Amino acid sequence: MPLSNPRSSVSLRGHPIHLLLAPVPAVCFVATLVTDIVYWQTAAMLWADFSSWLVVVGVIFSVLTAIAGLVDSFRHRRVREYRAAWVHGLANTAVLVLSFFNALIHTRDAYTSVVPTGLILSGLVVVLLIVTGVYAKEQT
Amino acid sequence: MKPALSAAAATSLLITLVGCGPSPIDPQRQIGANPYLPPIHEYLLPPMHVAKVVGWNGATPTAAAGLKVQAFAKDLANPRSLYVLPNGDVLVVETGGPPGPVSRPKEIVMNLVEKMAHSRTKPGQRILLFRDTNGDGLPDQKFVFLDHLHSPFGVVLVGNDLYVANTDAVVRFPYTSGDTQITAPGVTLCELPGGPIDHHWTKSLTASPDGTQLYAGVGSNSNITENGIQAEIGRAAIWQIDRATGAHREFATGLRNPNGLQFEPQTHTLWAVINERDELGPDLVPDYLTSVRDGAFYGWPYSYYGQHIDPRVQPQRPDLVAKAMPPDYALSSHVAPLGMVFSTGTTMPEHYRGGAFIGEHGSWDRTVLNGYKIVYVPFTDGRPSTRREDGQWA
Repeated sequence: MPLSNPRSSVSLRGHPIHLLLAPVPAVCFVATLVTDIVYWQTAAMLWADFSSWLVVVGVIFSVLTAIAGLVDSFRHRRVREYRAAWVHGLANTAVLVLSFFNALIHTRDAYTSVVPTGLILSGLVVVLLIVTGVYAKEQT
Repeated sequence: MKPALSAAAATSLLITLVGCGPSPIDPQRQIGANPYLPPIHEYLLPPMHVAKVVGWNGATPTAAAGLKVQAFAKDLANPRSLYVLPNGDVLVVETGGPPGPVSRPKEIVMNLVEKMAHSRTKPGQRILLFRDTNGDGLPDQKFVFLDHLHSPFGVVLVGNDLYVANTDAVVRFPYTSGDTQITAPGVTLCELPGGPIDHHWTKSLTASPDGTQLYAGVGSNSNITENGIQAEIGRAAIWQIDRATGAHREFATGLRNPNGLQFEPQTHTLWAVINERDELGPDLVPDYLTSVRDGAFYGWPYSYYGQHIDPRVQPQRPDLVAKAMPPDYALSSHVAPLGMVFSTGTTMPEHYRGGAFIGEHGSWDRTVLNGYKIVYVPFTDGRPSTRREDGQWA
């Protein structure tokens, strides 16, 4: 008999908070790459300002998502037994760390707040998000 | 596991980057006509280090030989600039900048750092007059000379016209020698670039020796165009304003934040102290003292000290960079010179006559503080003659 999935211990009306929060940083980091590219192409500061907010909001929600996810994995031994959970956790830690430094790069003034380092970091983060997303799908 | 490795590698690499930066050089290498300019170092996180606000606390700064420092007036609400009237009355401008919009999360942090560097007293928006009636060098009368101003900074008197440079306009008031209060409403001579973004808000003011022209320093609206180049129209410039008509033109441009506008008494040429750009390292870019030539371009934002390109500015303007004029005299990096006055009287010791006294507000993005003192640059034949001399502060 297949085991049912472990119930999240951090939940809101039965919905796991980890899953409620997870899309927010993902969307923010993808949007950061988009606004970075537009800034790179236009040199209009407005787009760099968008990036600057998006990456910071993304980092804040990343931390919240990570906390909810960590609590779940500490409470449930079975979560820790999934190799996929470990890969997911570590990959997203890399996303968070890279994005943290990306947020610092985006505090620079004008062009070098994005080109080239910010743009590269934003791109790496999105690649990591895609790779881990595909990996997670293949595990289910 | 690959992600784990990359995460660990990225963390250690980038933490090293945060911790590292070039250590500051001896500021003496950046004083005078040919300052040493190190390579650019852009930070991940600029060092934020400001001197603690302690007030007077009974202690007095150490002065150079032959000079003495004592409190002239106390309990002021952010006094930022001074002007001595011909009868010896001293005007003290209490002022603070207008609040600006927050366009990036960085500005929230920067505002907190700035708060740490400044007194907690709410800045006044007025000019006080101090009078010494018994000649002991200390004032015994205090008057509210002019109230309800809008971030005032520069003051200059021409005949019976007293001009105050608010952050958004040069305003004229009637003044007669001996007046202790002006109640007449001001007349706007010329509007200046003010809000809604008003990054460098202090408008320094002086008059030509013949009194026909006024000169106003209009600082840039950003560190290095991060508020967009369109926010810089009319800024990073010294404006020449016709006293009779109020018409203005940009006398000199490319001066990031010009303050302390003064005519050198011997040659009658305009000089100013300029606050250069931040976040290129502890020793870039040196602030400077320079003569200001009609029509000259001094580099900001595209370049500094002539043709040294700033990579943060896009699109670049090679046509402007090509004609960028190097300044006369570097004061070293991040000292933030915000006031200058030529020593014209005979009350100073012989040694301190004819040159320029410069007030240095002090650095914020340098691990070793620089500035926070008054320095003297001796002049010979209307030009800085030797290395400047520091007044030492305890």
